Amino acid sequence: MKISVIVFLILLFPSFLLAQTTVSGTVTDNKGMPILGANVYLEGAYDGASSDDNGKFSFETSEIGTQILTVSYVSFETFKLTDDVSKMKNLKIVLRDDVNSLETVTISAGSFSAGDNSKISVLKPLDIVTTASALGDFVGALQTLPGTTTVAEDGRLFVRGGDANETQIFIDGIRVFTPYSPTTDYIPTRGRYSPFLFDGITFSTGGYSAEYGQALSSVLLLNTIDEPDQEKTDIAIMTVGAGLGHTEKWKKSSLSLNTSYINLAPYIAILPDRNDWQKPFETASGEAVFRQKIGDGLLKIYGAFDTSNFALTQEDINQPEGVRFKLNNQNFYTNASYSQMLNDNWSIFAGGSYTYENTKVGIDETAIKDVENSAHLKLKLKKHFSNRFKLDFGAEQFITDFNENYDEPNFAAKLGFNNNISVAFTEADIIFSRKMALKLGVRGEYGELFKEFTLSPRASFAYKTGKSSQLSLAYGDFFQQPENEILKFTNDLEAERAQHYIMNYQYAANNRIFRAEVYRKKYNNLVSYNDEFPDVNSTFTNDGNGYAQGLDIFWRDNKSIKNVDYWVSYSYLDTERKYKNYPIEATPNFANTHNLSVVAKYWIDDWKSQIGFSYQYGSGRTYTDLNQPGFLQGKTEGYNSVSLNWAYLLSQQKILYFSINNAFAFRNVNGYQYANTPDANGNFARRELRPAADQFFFVGFFWTISDDGKDNQLDNL
Amino acid sequence: MQNVLAYLTLFFTVLAMQAQTDTSTINVDSAPTKYQQGMQKAFQLWQENKSWEAANVFERIATAEPDNWLPPYYVAQINVINSFTEKDGIKLKAQLDKAQDFINDATAISKDNPDLLVLQAQLYTAWIVFDGQQYGMTYSAKASELYNKALVLAPNNPRMILAKAEWDMGGAKYFGQSIEPYCKDIQRAIDLFATFKPAGEFYPTYGEERAKQIQAESCK
Repeated sequence: MKISVIVFLILLFPSFLLAQTTVSGTVTDNKGMPILGANVYLEGAYDGASSDDNGKFSFETSEIGTQILTVSYVSFETFKLTDDVSKMKNLKIVLRDDVNSLETVTISAGSFSAGDNSKISVLKPLDIVTTASALGDFVGALQTLPGTTTVAEDGRLFVRGGDANETQIFIDGIRVFTPYSPTTDYIPTRGRYSPFLFDGITFSTGGYSAEYGQALSSVLLLNTIDEPDQEKTDIAIMTVGAGLGHTEKWKKSSLSLNTSYINLAPYIAILPDRNDWQKPFETASGEAVFRQKIGDGLLKIYGAFDTSNFALTQEDINQPEGVRFKLNNQNFYTNASYSQMLNDNWSIFAGGSYTYENTKVGIDETAIKDVENSAHLKLKLKKHFSNRFKLDFGAEQFITDFNENYDEPNFAAKLGFNNNISVAFTEADIIFSRKMALKLGVRGEYGELFKEFTLSPRASFAYKTGKSSQLSLAYGDFFQQPENEILKFTNDLEAERAQHYIMNYQYAANNRIFRAEVYRKKYNNLVSYNDEFPDVNSTFTNDGNGYAQGLDIFWRDNKSIKNVDYWVSYSYLDTERKYKNYPIEATPNFANTHNLSVVAKYWIDDWKSQIGFSYQYGSGRTYTDLNQPGFLQGKTEGYNSVSLNWAYLLSQQKILYFSINNAFAFRNVNGYQYANTPDANGNFARRELRPAADQFFFVGFFWTISDDGKDNQLDNL
Repeated sequence: MQNVLAYLTLFFTVLAMQAQTDTSTINVDSAPTKYQQGMQKAFQLWQENKSWEAANVFERIATAEPDNWLPPYYVAQINVINSFTEKDGIKLKAQLDKAQDFINDATAISKDNPDLLVLQAQLYTAWIVFDGQQYGMTYSAKASELYNKALVLAPNNPRMILAKAEWDMGGAKYFGQSIEPYCKDIQRAIDLFATFKPAGEFYPTYGEERAKQIQAESCK
C-alpha cells in the first residue's frame, strides 16, 4: 500500500521527486488592499514570482533550509523574512509605505525651498535669476515671496516685521558674516555672491531648525553645487561691466571660478541720477569653488573676495552743500566643509568659515575704519536609525573680533569687542507615517561677552489632510546677540529674543501650489538706548519688546495658461515694537501692512525668447512727522514698480538680455527727512527721500563656450 | 524653456522604447544555465509587453548574480522606459528612484560603462520630459556631459555615436543650424552597426533601426 501511495504521488506531482517546496501567500498594503505586481523571491536564488491582481503569489523552489524571502514593490519599503522555506506558506505580507515617497508629508511651516527634487519647491533654480525685478540678485528674487517687506532703498531682506539684521545667511551650512556689499543711505545693496554657484536655496521665514541660530526672524540657506556638469567658459558683457567664469573638471575634483568687474561710471554719465557722484560705484570680485572627492566623502572649499569703492555727495536738508560720503571696502570670505557617510547609519559634516572685512567710510570730515575678523566652526553628526527616525547633533563656535577707529577733527575713539559664542544642538526627525511627521530640537548657546546661557526649544509638526494638502505647525525660541553697532559700545547686555508660532496650510497638485500661513512672533529683550544715535555715553538696556503677526499667501501656477508661469504673493503684517530710541511702541519704518508681488514669465517659442514681468506693491511705511505730535505717526504713499525683462537666445550659447526696472516710472517716495530746526513759522521743513534713480536699464550679452555646445547662461541672468 | 527642452527629449521616448527588440536569438550550445534561463524568460516577458514582470525577473537575477551588471541594468532600463509615459509625478519619482538605485548597483559592478552612462542620461531625460521647465536646465547639461563621456569611452560604439548625434541634432534643428555633421555621425553609426558584435551574451544591442529611422526622417 505504502509504495503505491508514493507512486501515485509521483505520478500526480512529478516535482515531489525533486523535493520542491511551494512558497505562497498574499501581499497587501497597510489598508489590506492587494498589491499587484510585487516581486516575491528568495534572495540569491532564481526562484520567485510576481503577485497577481488579488495580491496572491505562489512559486516552487528546490532551495531548502533557512532562506531570505524578499518582497519588493515600487514606493513601498522592501520586506524581508528569514525563515525555513518549508514554513513559507500562506504568508500574509503587509508592505509598509516607503516614506521617501513624494506622497510623504513634509514639514513646510515657515520655509520655502528652491531646486530640490524630492520636495515641493516653491521656486525653481532658474527663478532666482529670471525674475524681472531681481537683476540677477538672489535676494531680489526672494523679495517676491510672501513674508518679506518691500524696502526698496535698502535691498536687504526684511522678514515679518524684523529688521534686516534678524536674517542670517549660510553657505553650505556655515554662516556668512557679511553677506551684503556695503552701501550708503538710500542706495540699495545687493547680495555679494553670484547665484550661479548655488543649486539649492532654502528660505525660512520662521520656525526653523535647531541647527541654525543667532537669527531672530529668518535664515537663508545656500548650497553650492556638489559636482558641476561640464567644463565651460562663461563670458558676460554688460552695460555696467563684464564677467568671466570658468569651470574645470578632473577625475575626482573640479574648480569653478567666477570673476566680475562692475563700474557704474559710463551708465551714470549717460543717465545721471539724483546723487552727485565723484566716483561712481566700482567693484571687482572673484569667487572660486573647489570640490574634491575623498573616498565616500566630499570636500568643498569656497572663497570669495571683493573690493568696492565709491564717493558721492548726497542731498541733505540740514546741509545745503550736501553730505560728502565715500566708501572703500574689502571683503574676503572662505568656507570649507567636509561631509561623508561613515557607514550605513552615520554621517558626519565638519566645516568652518572665516571672514575678513575692512571698511573705510568718510562722511564729511569724519573718517571711520572698521575691521571685522569672524569665524564659524561647526561639527554635525547624523544617525539614521531608519527611514522613519533620524537624529542630528552637533556643536558650533562663532568668533568675532571687531575693531573700529573713529576720527573726527576734534575727537577720536577706538572701539571694539571680541565675542565668542559656543553652541550645542540636537534634533530628531520622526516620520510616523506618510501622513504625519514631527521634528523636535533644542539648541543651547553660551555667549562669552555677556556670560549668558540661553536655551531654545524648537518643534514642528506636519499632517497630511488630503492627497495634495497638508497642515504644518511650528514653534520656536530664537536668540540673537545685538549687532556690531551696539556691541562696540557695551557688553553689559543680554541676547535679544523672539518666539515664533506658525500655522501653515499647503496645497500642491498639477504644477499649482497654494500656501497660506498665519503667524505670531513675540519679541523680548530688544536693545534700547537713550540717545538719538548710540554712542559711548549712551545707556543701553534690554527692556525693548514687540510683536509681529500676520498672514502670508502664495499661489503659483504654470499649468493654466500655456507657456506662462506666474506666481502671486501677498503678505498682511501687523507689527509694533519698542526698541532702540523709540519713546513708545510703534510700527518701525521698515514694516508695512500690505505687500503684493506678481511675477510672470512667458516663453515665446517662435521668438526663442522669454519675457518676464514683475509687479511689486508695498503699502505706505511710517515716518515721524515733526509738525504733528507723535512718533512714527505719518505714512508714505504706497510703493509701486513694474519691471520687465527679455531674454533672447541668439543661438544655443549666446543670449541677449534686456531689462528695465520700474518701466512705468512710478514716482516712489520712501520717506521724508525733516530739518533739525523749525523755520520762522515754527514749521519743520522736509524733503522727500526718493530712489537715486526712478528707473534702471540693463543690457547684457552672455556667451558660454563648452565642449558640447549646449549649455548657456540662462540660469545666470 | 519648456519647449526648447521638450524637443530634445521626445526622440528618446522612441529610442528607449525600442531598446530591446532583438534579443531573443540566443545560441545555446550546451544546456542553459539558470542565469541563461532566467534572462531568456525575462526578455520573453518583455517582448510579450509584460515589462514589469520582466523587471521583477531581472531583479531576482540581480540578487543571485551580484557580480553581473546586466540584470540591474535592465531593471533600471525598464523603469526608465516606463517613466517616459508616466504623467503622475509621484509614481514617476518612485520609478526613477528605483531605476537610480539599480544604476548605482550596476555602476558599482562595472565602472565607466558607456551603456550605463547613456541609461543615466535617459533617466535625466525622463525628468525633462515630465517637466522641462523645472528640470530642463540642470538635467540637460548633465545628460550632455554623459553622452560626451560615453563617446569618449567607446568612440567606435555605434550606439554611443547615435545617442550623442541624436541629442545634438535636436538642439541644432531648433536653432535652425545645420544638422549635416550629425547626419554624418549617424551614417557612421549605421556603418558600424553592420559589423557590431555585442561584447557578450545578453549585452545591449539596440539602436540600428533607430539610426536608420532618423536618417530617413532627417538626413535625406
